[in-house]
Amino acid sequence: MEPANELRGSIKSRNRDVQSSVPSLYIHIPFCKKKCNYCDFVSCAGKEELIDEYVYALIREFELLFSTLDFQLSTIYFGGGTPTLLEPKHFEKILKALGNRTLNVERRTQEVTVESNPGTADKEKLKALRKLGINRISIGAQTFNDRHLKTLGRIHNSKDISRFYDDARSAGFENINLDLIFALPNQTLAEWKVDLQTAIGLEPNHLSTYNLQIEENTPLYLRQTANSLQLPGEEEELKMYEYAIETLTSAGFNHYEISNFAKPGFQCLHNINYWKNGNYIGIGAGAHSHVNGKRWSNPNSIEEYIANHERRFTINDSPDSIDQHETLFLGLRLLEGLSIDKFSGFEQEVAELINDGLLERDGDRYKLSKKGLYLGNLVFEKFV
Amino acid sequence: MLSKIRNFSIIAHIDHGKSTLADRLLEYTHTISKRDMREQVLDTMDLERERGITIKAQAIRMLYKDYILNLIDTPGHVDFSYEVSRSLAACEGALLLVDATQGVEAQTLANANLARQNNLVIIPIINKVDLPAAEPERIKEELKNIFGIDPEDVILASAKEGIGVPEILEAIIKRIPSPIGEVEKPLQALIFDSHYDAFRGVIAYLRVVNGKIKAGMQIKMMGAGGEFEVQEVGTLKLGLIPKDELLPGEVGYLVAGVREVKECRVGDTVTDAKQPAHHALPGYKPIKPMVFCGFYPLAGEDFENLKDAVSKLQLNDASLFYEPETSAALGFGLRCGFLGLLHLEIVQERLEREFNLSIIATAPNVIYKVNLRDKTHRLVDNPSRMPPLAEIESIEEPFLKLTVFTPAENVGAVIDLATERRGQFVNLEYLDPKRVMLTFEIPLSEIISEFHDLLKSVTRGYASMDYELIGYRVSDLVKMEILLNQEPVDALSIIVHRDQAFYRGKKLVEKLKEAIPRHQFQIPVQASIGSKVIARENIAALRKNVLQKCYGGDITRKRKLLEKQKAGKKRMKRIGNVDVPQEAFLAVLRLGK
Repeated sequence: MEPANELRGSIKSRNRDVQSSVPSLYIHIPFCKKKCNYCDFVSCAGKEELIDEYVYALIREFELLFSTLDFQLSTIYFGGGTPTLLEPKHFEKILKALGNRTLNVERRTQEVTVESNPGTADKEKLKALRKLGINRISIGAQTFNDRHLKTLGRIHNSKDISRFYDDARSAGFENINLDLIFALPNQTLAEWKVDLQTAIGLEPNHLSTYNLQIEENTPLYLRQTANSLQLPGEEEELKMYEYAIETLTSAGFNHYEISNFAKPGFQCLHNINYWKNGNYIGIGAGAHSHVNGKRWSNPNSIEEYIANHERRFTINDSPDSIDQHETLFLGLRLLEGLSIDKFSGFEQEVAELINDGLLERDGDRYKLSKKGLYLGNLVFEKFV
Repeated sequence: MLSKIRNFSIIAHIDHGKSTLADRLLEYTHTISKRDMREQVLDTMDLERERGITIKAQAIRMLYKDYILNLIDTPGHVDFSYEVSRSLAACEGALLLVDATQGVEAQTLANANLARQNNLVIIPIINKVDLPAAEPERIKEELKNIFGIDPEDVILASAKEGIGVPEILEAIIKRIPSPIGEVEKPLQALIFDSHYDAFRGVIAYLRVVNGKIKAGMQIKMMGAGGEFEVQEVGTLKLGLIPKDELLPGEVGYLVAGVREVKECRVGDTVTDAKQPAHHALPGYKPIKPMVFCGFYPLAGEDFENLKDAVSKLQLNDASLFYEPETSAALGFGLRCGFLGLLHLEIVQERLEREFNLSIIATAPNVIYKVNLRDKTHRLVDNPSRMPPLAEIESIEEPFLKLTVFTPAENVGAVIDLATERRGQFVNLEYLDPKRVMLTFEIPLSEIISEFHDLLKSVTRGYASMDYELIGYRVSDLVKMEILLNQEPVDALSIIVHRDQAFYRGKKLVEKLKEAIPRHQFQIPVQASIGSKVIARENIAALRKNVLQKCYGGDITRKRKLLEKQKAGKKRMKRIGNVDVPQEAFLAVLRLGK
């Protein structure tokens, strides 16, 4: 069977009644100038010569899918890697191929995000991107402390972040996100406070804050196993997280997801679709897709992705219950929680969690309590 | 006919090559074709192969020249010494197999002594003489010193290479006497093993001493008392070979509709119900479990399944004892009795493997004799059932004679180890200039934890040990209770010597702190004697545990992480509001001095 038909058949066979329109598209750009010390994403340094071919493969993949699925796109997200390593002509080709046909004209809000690293685009490039219709930029700042930037293996310093931010603003970006990481090796609470205050000072529309995760097969992991990494303890990490919530909330940000904060009207629509377990298609190396309870992903290797014109999907054949589990543990990440009827079959778990003070009822919804926010995994594990 | 039968077994320390020698004998006598040969044919249970030991005895009949040779295999662990003695009692001779690079070990001595008590002819064999590190002359010297064996009688062999196998077969027919017995006398047959078969009921392995046994006969078990009709008898090859009758001196099997092995226990005498023998063959002993522990299902609703499983194992294991018990902390479970720690571990492993049960096993303990102030006494096989302190006059515990064979250079370390564990030094004897035999008297309770592992570690693996029960003695023992989150956990209480209570209490709460995962609240872990807390640790509360980052590409991986975390908790038992893993119950076993 042709891959496209196979995909169509497989998605439809399970949930005939559910409309299978796809509102979100993720486009993975796996190129980097240098790989960071904590990064285990699909990304490669020194393969820029493959960019043209890769962009061509992206378009081919999209066209194949376009004939199969009903795209009603509200959001597009260029993630990486470092998407801003691509030239405006590449973005132009991709966006043109997507075409106006795919965009959902009935919804006024459309969000086209590009992830970026400071120092990977000048003002001209940023202007060009803005002009192509990209209306949101997410900047991987991580920290404003040069020593910590070095530990993380970032290619920029703190001044580069501010300069890049200003360039993005003057290029016409009215929706800017900053990514920050806390609980870095040797980081103190005081240093984290400075990071947050500096970020707030730039007046971004959106902030994401994560604690550092040491992933296997990264340079930091090797240092950790060699015992040469001084990471803040759990208590310290908690204080950093608490401080971020307090400070950002009082600075007018709405804490709407475990790690995400937005000024009113600037929540990230693309990511909210993930947390609501909505349909999305990911194209590019290592990209994941989810349509009507089915998940699948592309090969991680750039070369393999480019070469693989006859794309074959390995669609996981997980039972419907898994999709409910995912709806619950993803949905609870949103601070507004989930409507009560979604929890059917989990009445006992809900009662226990409420009794433990981890979950609370808010009108016709269940949501994480403050304690539940810090101990989210104890809540999520009940629903898998 | 009798003159052409030879019944023998092989006595050897673990890894000295018993199974390999048996394989060679089977091959050489064409009992098993090359094609059917797999390593260690006689060890039928998977567990036996993995652990390299024989748990159940087996027998096999070989033809050599015009002789019938019956090899009766013996269990190779001290837990099963009674079974060994019964297997030996069914023989006239024994091959004493000693590793040319190691020498005589503690258990070899114990089993050789058993063979002598049964008047067996011993054929000494030094195995693995092909190895570069072989020291056959030193071993000959040892055999002479320990057993008074004439070096001229020793056969040098390598079972692996087939060296010495013909000499061994010749020695078996020449040195071992033929059995004595009279077919006219009333039937007396010794059961040396039995196992349960789902289709045929119990299959008993026996040695006919006097009289004959055949299908249709009504028989009686002289020890257990049951009467049965014989359905089939026969001899043993790799399977059962039916035969009309078994005559004196013969080794074979018996099927008689027996439903449980405890109805035809090892050591029992089979006789003719219509014309019974005057007396049973000597040596029958009722079962006496030495080591006890509680088995509790992780999921309460599995209790019936656990009971079913243990009763199924008992069909085939007469030395396994069980009765239902209830623990305030763990709910419904079984208190089980075992011959020793290995026996316990095997049963636990089989429950998990063969019956797919998830169970919590409490720390093993011995059986205590508690003398009460009202001059009565009580046997206590569960620390949580110890009567209140005020009612107790004294507590007695089982003591052992412990024999350790060790390189001379490790004598100090071994004596330290034994005395730390309340052992009394009794004797030191040189086996040769390099090796020493030490004897101690020591409480059984000190041996059932990590003693054997520690002995191996202080002697770099060179020591071996054996023990026998010498009786009950009064000790200054107290019950130590463990409180989790202020609640006493009956299943964690232990009996300790008063002098060790403080140290062990401290060690135990430390181990529990390591084993029990952090919860949403702080958990105090306390050890107390009576109402006095003697040690305390706190398990800090879990403060932050949340997947901070989760986007479209992470979901499957994150779900799997959560599933794994959840599965880990399912392996724990909830006591009060604390999830306790199996390791916590084993912490009691690893407390050092």
